[in-house]
Amino acid sequence: MMTNILTFCFASAEELPRASLEVLAAGRRLGDELRNGCVQAALLGPDVEGHGETLVHHGADEVFIISHPRLQYYEADVILETLEAIVQQLSPDVVLFPHDELGGGNVGPRLAYRLGTGIVTDCVGFEVKDDAIRWLRPVYGGKAMAYMVANGPLQLATTRSRAFEPLAPDSARQGAVHTLEVDVDSMSSPVSLVERTQEEIEGISLDQAQIIVSGGRGMEDKEGFSALDRLAEILGAAVGGSRPAADLGWVPHSRLVGQTGKIVAPNLYIAVAISGAPQHMAGAGSSKTIVAINKDEDAPIFKVAHVGVVGEWENVIPALTVACKEILGS
Amino acid sequence: MHIIVCLKQIIDPEIPPHIFQIDPVKRKQIRGRQALVISDFDAIALEVALQLKERTDGKVTAITIGQKEAVESLHTALAMGTDETMLISDPAFEGADSFGKAHILAAALCKLGEFDIVLCGRQAGDVELGLVGPFLAEKMGLPCVTLMANIEPGDGKVRLKRPIEGGYEILEAPLPFLATVTNDESNVPRYASVRGIRAAMRKKIPVWSAADLGLDPAEVGPETARIEMEELFIPKREMRCEFIEGESGPEKGRRLALRLKELKLI
Repeated sequence: MMTNILTFCFASAEELPRASLEVLAAGRRLGDELRNGCVQAALLGPDVEGHGETLVHHGADEVFIISHPRLQYYEADVILETLEAIVQQLSPDVVLFPHDELGGGNVGPRLAYRLGTGIVTDCVGFEVKDDAIRWLRPVYGGKAMAYMVANGPLQLATTRSRAFEPLAPDSARQGAVHTLEVDVDSMSSPVSLVERTQEEIEGISLDQAQIIVSGGRGMEDKEGFSALDRLAEILGAAVGGSRPAADLGWVPHSRLVGQTGKIVAPNLYIAVAISGAPQHMAGAGSSKTIVAINKDEDAPIFKVAHVGVVGEWENVIPALTVACKEILGS
Repeated sequence: MHIIVCLKQIIDPEIPPHIFQIDPVKRKQIRGRQALVISDFDAIALEVALQLKERTDGKVTAITIGQKEAVESLHTALAMGTDETMLISDPAFEGADSFGKAHILAAALCKLGEFDIVLCGRQAGDVELGLVGPFLAEKMGLPCVTLMANIEPGDGKVRLKRPIEGGYEILEAPLPFLATVTNDESNVPRYASVRGIRAAMRKKIPVWSAADLGLDPAEVGPETARIEMEELFIPKREMRCEFIEGESGPEKGRRLALRLKELKLI
C-alpha cells in the first residue's frame, strides 16, 4: 500500500522559504523510511508557479500548485479552507507543515480539528517503528523530550524551524508538477487586514542567521548592545536578546530568543552576559555550538555552553570584534 | 464587553534543569516542592483582557481546568483584576488531551452564555503544543485570530495588533471571536496588589463538574485522545565547557576569535 505524505509549502513569487524546503526534507525522509512512501508537495501562495520544479529537485515526487493572491497569512481562513479542499482531493496519510506562525500557530491545529485527526506540533525528529510514526518533540522548555503518536489513519505534524536540513537540489530528480484547481475566490474570511507597518529589517533575521549574537541583562543598558551590533556586523550575524533585555527595551521583542520569543538553532550562538535561565535556553538550546561570555563563572549558561569565557563583556567583546575582523579580512 | 480568558496552571517553568524531574512511567513532570503558576502566555492573555476591560468598562472572566489547587491561579487572576472565575474540575477530566480540553472549555463557554472575546495563551508553558485555543475556536465556530498582542476596541468590531518581524499588522475581527495571545512590549502581566490578593482570598470560586456542564465523561476522557505521549525522557547532556584562558579580558577575546576560527565556526 502506498503511503502519501503531503507537505505544505508556502511561498511568494520572489521567495521559496527555507521552511518549505525543511518540511519537504522531513517528508522525503519519512517517505523513504515508510514502505512505498510518496512525497507530495502542495505549493501555496501568490504567483508561485515558478517554484514547482525546485520542489521536485528538493525531494518531492509530485507537486501541486495552488497559486492565488489571497493565499497570505492574514487570510488564514482562506488558506485553511484551501488546505481542507486540497486534503479532500489528495487524501494523504500524513500531512506536514512548517511549525511557524501560520502552520503551527493557526491553520495546522484548525485543520486537524476539522478533519478529526491528531496533530503533533513542533517536531524536531521522528522514528518509524512497526509502521507507526513516533514524533519527537521538546517539552517543558526543552528540559525533556517526548515521543508522541497520533491515533487514527490520518495524522498531521508541524516541524520546528532548522530541525530538518533542506536536501541539496538535484536537477536530475524527476517528478510531476500539476496545477490544482481550488475555488479560492469563493472563500471568505471573517478577519481582514487593516494595515501593515514593517520597517526595513536591519541586518539578518534570527530565522535566517547562521550566527546569532545575543545579549542579556548583564549588558547594563541599550548602549551595550551597540557593541554586539558591531560584532554581529563583522560576523554577518543577527542580534538577539534575552527576556530581561527585551523587557527593558534594549532589543525589540521581535528579537527575543526564548520560550516566550523566537526558538532558534543557528550554527553558532554567542551568549553575552546571559545567565542561561531555562526560559532563554528553551529558545537557544538547540544551537549547534553555544559560546558563553559571562563574568560569573558559576552562571548556569556554562553548563550548556561548548566554549566559555569568564570575563566582563566590556573587556572581551571589543578585542573579540577586532580579532574576528582581522581573521575574516574585512 | 465580556472577555473570557482560559488559563492553565503549570509547575513553575523557571526551575533550573538540575532540579527538574520527570516520572517516565506516568509520562509527566514531578512537581516536588515547586510552585504552581499561571502559564506564561495565559498570564499575558489575561493582561490583554484586563487592559481592554479598563478601556471599555468591560468584564473579565477567567476559567481553568484543573484539580483543586488550580484555585490558586484563579485567586491570582482575581487579585490582578479579574471579575469572575470558575474552576472546572472533575476526576473524569484527568488525561484529557487538547481535543478533550477544548470540548470541556466549549461546554463552559456555553454555560457562561454571552461573551464577546475568548482569549487563550499561544501555548502552555509545559507541553507547549499550542492546540487548545485553535481547537476551541473550531469547536465553537468562532473566528480565530492567532498570535495577537493587543486589542483596540471599536464599534461591533475590534482591531487586533499582531507583531511581525520588524513591525506589526492590524487586523479587524467581528465579535465574538477567539484569539491566541503572544507577547510584546505592551502586555507584560501586571503584579497583583497586596490588597487585591486579600480581597481575592475572600472570594468564593464556583467549581463546575462534568455533570454541571452536561458533559458525558466518555466524550472528553483519555480514551478520546487523538494524540498520546508514548515516551518522556530527559536527554543526556555530556557537556563540558571548554574555557578560554588568558591573563585579561582582551586576551581571552582574541583567543576566542582564534578558537572559533579553528573550529570553523567563523
